[in-house]
Amino acid sequence: MTVSEAAIGGRRGNMPRSSLMRRIEENPFSWLLPVAILLGVFYLYPIFDVLRLAFTNASLRGGEEHYTVDSFVALIANPALPDILWTTFVFTAGSVVGQQLFGLGIAVLVMRGERRRLYGMTALRTIVLIAWVIPGIANGLIWQMLFSEAPFGAINSVLRMMAIQPVAWLSDPGIAMISAIVSNVWRGTAFSMIVFYAALKGIDNTLYEAASVDGANGWQRFRFITLPQMRAAILVNSILITIATLNTFDAIISLTGGGPGRATEVLSLYTFNTVFRNLDLAGGSVLSVLMLLISLVLAVGYASFLPRREANE
Amino acid sequence: MTSESREKLWDLATYLIAIIIAAFFLVPLLWLLSLALRTRQEVFLGASRFIPKRPTLGNFEQILSDPAFMNYLWNGLKLSALGGIGCLIVAAPAAYAFSRFHFQSRSSLMMSILAFQMVSPLVILVPLYRYMATLGLLDGHFGVTMIYIAVSLPMAVWLLKSSIDGIPKSLEEAAQIDGCSRFGIFWRITLPLVAPGLASAFILIMILNWSQFLVPFLLLTTDSKLPISVAIFTFAGTSNASSTQVLAAACLVAVVPAIVAFLLLQRMIVGALTAGAVKG
Repeated sequence: MTVSEAAIGGRRGNMPRSSLMRRIEENPFSWLLPVAILLGVFYLYPIFDVLRLAFTNASLRGGEEHYTVDSFVALIANPALPDILWTTFVFTAGSVVGQQLFGLGIAVLVMRGERRRLYGMTALRTIVLIAWVIPGIANGLIWQMLFSEAPFGAINSVLRMMAIQPVAWLSDPGIAMISAIVSNVWRGTAFSMIVFYAALKGIDNTLYEAASVDGANGWQRFRFITLPQMRAAILVNSILITIATLNTFDAIISLTGGGPGRATEVLSLYTFNTVFRNLDLAGGSVLSVLMLLISLVLAVGYASFLPRREANE
Repeated sequence: MTSESREKLWDLATYLIAIIIAAFFLVPLLWLLSLALRTRQEVFLGASRFIPKRPTLGNFEQILSDPAFMNYLWNGLKLSALGGIGCLIVAAPAAYAFSRFHFQSRSSLMMSILAFQMVSPLVILVPLYRYMATLGLLDGHFGVTMIYIAVSLPMAVWLLKSSIDGIPKSLEEAAQIDGCSRFGIFWRITLPLVAPGLASAFILIMILNWSQFLVPFLLLTTDSKLPISVAIFTFAGTSNASSTQVLAAACLVAVVPAIVAFLLLQRMIVGALTAGAVKG
C-alpha cells in the first residue's frame, strides 16, 4: 500500500539528510524507543526488583540484606492472609458483578430511550459519567458523609426522620463491606456502562428485525440476541474492571481505612500497610508478587478471549 | 392493548427508572453541596436541612482564602498538566509507529503495552521508592511527574493510535512524494490533523492524574508540595464532626475541576473511550 519511501524519501528535502538518519526514521522501533525506555525504567525494572526483593529480608529501615525465603514462609504462616484474600474476593466480586449488572441495565435503558426519542437520555448518561471522574479519595470522603452515623450522615438521618433504627454502615464489619461495595459501584459503573453502550450500538439491527418477524418477545430478543452479541464486550470488561477493583486503594483508605478491625482491608491496602507502615519491604514485595500473579492470570485470560483479527488489518 | 400503547407504557417505565438511577448518582454530590453550604449549626440537623435555611458561602471563603489550599490546587493542576504533556510527547511517536508502520511484532507489542496497565502502581512503587530515595528524587515534583507519565502511557498510546488510524493517509503520501521526511510528515501533517484526538487524550489523562493519590502520597512529604488529592485526605484525617461543612467544601472544590473539564469535553472523551472499547 505505502509508496516505496526508500526510493522517494528525502530527494527533494530542503536539507540533505544522511542515510543513517533516514534509516532511523524508517525503523518503527526508533519511534517506540521513548515508550520502551519509560516502561522499562518505571515498570519492567521495578517488577524484576520486586521479584528479587521478595527473596530478601529487605526493610525500609535499612540494614544489611541477604537472600532468604523467610518472607514467603511468613506469608504462608500469616493467620491474617486467608481473611485478607477473602475480603479482597468479596469486595472485587461484589463490585464487578454490581458494576456490570448496573452498567448493562443503564446502557440498555439509554439505548431504548434513544430509540424511542425520549428526553433526557444524554443527561442520564452524563450524570452517570460524572461519578466516574470523581477522584477516588473524594469518593471515599463523600460516601463517608452519606454513611456516617453522626447527625450529618445522610442515610441515617433520613432513616431517623422516618423513625427507622439507624444502621451502622461503617462500624459493623459485615455492613461496612457492603457500604464499600456500594461506593465503589457508584464510581465504577460508568465505565461498564460506556463499554456496553458502545457494544450495543455495534449490534446489527437486522438481527432484531429478524427476531421480531419470528415473533420473539423483548426478553427473548435480549436473551438470544443482545447477550450473545455482547459476549466479547462483557468478557473484556469483566477482566478490565476486575483488575481495576483489585488495585483499588484510595477509595477504601478514605472510606473505612480498612476497618472496622480488618473487615475491609483488601490485598492492596494490606500490601501498602506492610511496606509503608510496618516498613517490611520484603514482606510487601511478596504480597506485590501475589498481586502481580493474580493480575497476570486475569490478563492472560483477557488476551485469550480477544478475537484474532489484527493480523490482516 | 395495542403495541403502541404498550410501548407508551414502557416509555413511562423508562422515565421512572431513569429518574431513580439519576437520583442514585446525583444525591451523593447534592448532599456534598448541601453540607458545604451549611453553617456549623445546620450540619447537625441532618437531612431535614437538605436545603439549608441559611445557606452560606463562608466555608468556601475559608477554603479559598487559605493560601496553602490554593497551593494544593496549583500543585494538583501542575502535576496533572505536566504529566499529561509529558505523556503525549512520549506516546505520540509510538502511536504513529503502531498506526503507520507495518511490522511483525506490532500487535503483540501493543498487547504487551496494554498489559502494563494491569500492574498496580503500588507494585512498582515498592521498589521505586527506594531508587528514588537513592537518586534524591523523593519529595520532588519531577519524580512524581515521571511516574504519572509512565502510569498513563499505555492508555495514551492506545487512544492516540486509534485517533491516527482515523485520519486518511493520502495527505501523508502526498507529502512523502514531495520529499518530506518521515519525521517532517509526523510533525507537520499527522500531528496537526490529529489535534482533536490529542486534546481529548490530554484532558482524559489530566482528569486521571488529578485523581492520582498513591504516587504523591508516598513520594511527597513536604506540605507545600502536596497536590489537592493528598491534601483533602490529610485534611479529613485532622477534621472532626464540627468541621464537616469545611471538609465538604474542600471536597467539592477538589471535585469540581474534574467535572467541569469532563463536561466541556464530554463528547470528545466519550468518543475516544468508545472507539477504544469497540476495538477491545
